[in-house]
Amino acid sequence: MIQGKVHDVRFHRYDGPRSGRLAALWSMTRWSALRALGARRGWKAKIIPIALTLAAFFPALVVLGLRALFPSSINDNLAAVLPYSDYAGIVGLVILVFAIVVTPELLCPDRRDGTLALYFATAISRTDYVAGTVFAALLPLMLVTVLPPAILYSGNVLFATHPLGYVQGHTHDILRIVAAGTAMALYFAFVGLAIASLTGRRAFAIGGYLAFLIVPTIVGGILSNNVEHGENFRLIAFAAVPIHVAESLYPVVPDAGDPSNTAWVMTWLALILLSALVLVWRFRGDEG
Amino acid sequence: MTASDHPLIEAAGVTKRFGQVTALDDVTTAVTSPALGLLGANGAGKSTFMKAMLGLVKPDSGRVRVLGMDAAHQAREIRRSLGYMPENMCLPMGMTARDFIVHMGELRGLPHRIAVLRASEVLFQVGLEEERSRLIRTFSVGMRQRTNLAQAIVHSPALVILDEPTNGLDPAGREEMLALVRRLSAELGIAVIMSSHVLEDIVRTCDAVVVLRQGQVAATRTLADTSAASEREARVVVSGDSAAFVARLKTAGVTVAIRDDHFLVSGPDPDTMLRAIRDAAAETDAGLHELRPAGPTLEDALIGDLS
Repeated sequence: MIQGKVHDVRFHRYDGPRSGRLAALWSMTRWSALRALGARRGWKAKIIPIALTLAAFFPALVVLGLRALFPSSINDNLAAVLPYSDYAGIVGLVILVFAIVVTPELLCPDRRDGTLALYFATAISRTDYVAGTVFAALLPLMLVTVLPPAILYSGNVLFATHPLGYVQGHTHDILRIVAAGTAMALYFAFVGLAIASLTGRRAFAIGGYLAFLIVPTIVGGILSNNVEHGENFRLIAFAAVPIHVAESLYPVVPDAGDPSNTAWVMTWLALILLSALVLVWRFRGDEG
Repeated sequence: MTASDHPLIEAAGVTKRFGQVTALDDVTTAVTSPALGLLGANGAGKSTFMKAMLGLVKPDSGRVRVLGMDAAHQAREIRRSLGYMPENMCLPMGMTARDFIVHMGELRGLPHRIAVLRASEVLFQVGLEEERSRLIRTFSVGMRQRTNLAQAIVHSPALVILDEPTNGLDPAGREEMLALVRRLSAELGIAVIMSSHVLEDIVRTCDAVVVLRQGQVAATRTLADTSAASEREARVVVSGDSAAFVARLKTAGVTVAIRDDHFLVSGPDPDTMLRAIRDAAAETDAGLHELRPAGPTLEDALIGDLS
């Protein structure tokens, strides 16, 4: 017997409980993050974020795969093969491209399609919108900045001769992984959103983001190599700033001639604050 | 006193200037009708008045209260409670209709599960249930306007504000939109404030109208009263035995005034009057050449208000 189900699709009034501002903020974050990752859209929108995410996981998966396949011939001390402190540098380019792809998608379509006006006219404030979008940028970025080294850490724990001992001996590493990944995500999120907030055209935002990160990096490299005592020119290597900040969280001695860790952190902080100011300026207005 | 005890909208002495332009000039009105039209030419102040209701425009003087809430100080609550369909297209082209409606429901306070259920309901109501999984960019203009209407009612508002909802629609799309707007107040229990510069749109969908002219309230009319008043007297032109026609009319209890080339017939109510004219013409074999309201029609009255 075939059973059917009758659905009542008439219009009903809703008089139940209503969620507050935090729920609206989360909705903004969730839908924006899904859109940026190409979810619920065609394969063309998904392919680049998925490929870049896999690329970010690739070094960790290779090391753990080798460790699983050849347990006796790989050194137990995986930190020597792929130290956590080097992970940001190894996948730095992938993270940079991921940020360039994802962050403009969070703001440009809303401005281009006029959806911003609808949001502000009906449901949420400008502050809520900006906060939701920043969180929406952070979530996918942390997928590629925090999760891959965290997976590597988890693999190291599993393959360690004494897993509990490994955790006890490397407690600080998991904190450093989270802190370093968050630092990178914050930087790429704020800078990317600030640039994307200047235009409704995604192509212009991507071009602007690329120019902002790549041009000063090249100029800084040239100046630091050709100007006497010009090592601080390396600080305008904006593409390298978050990687240096991430590495500074590990007990690694900086290369001779590099600016100090403090200088990198101050540059990182200044650019994040500047980007936040740009966002405030672009979305200033009556909060109603 | 609850929100339901208040008029939907109360405006008292609302004035708003943009530089040298006075968009609203001492607007005072109270809206109690379940379907109100804001009628006015382009630039008459309709959109500014609507934005003042939503707290998006702060008046230079005067105050607006919506559902008992002060638009200047409780704008956030008002915007979450009301539905608003802006004039300009503002939909995210890269989202499906369903996802967008769910998202807008959540932003206005619906829990996720409820938002999903209600998205299906409202998309069904606007005739887009089969298209709910399509990207909005693939929709026609009419389908986009219906999606825009769906987002305005997904959270079950007591009042929905529609800014020129038929803009840019072809005749078929316009018919569908007007039918939907009429259903909101007549069947779904949602009060409607709709702006338009098209007289017919207002007459077909609203119970009352506020006519704005150069930022001022030129008239406030209840459409049924205005329409009934215009129909109580008829101008009639007949051929044949007009004397017999008039005599027959007088026996039917209606009043006849004889003019040079026509008669003015009035009765206790439009139905009695029209039946008498029909019967008189049939019984005296008179040719009925003209039969129309003698006084200004609703359209005449509103056009007079506008000009």
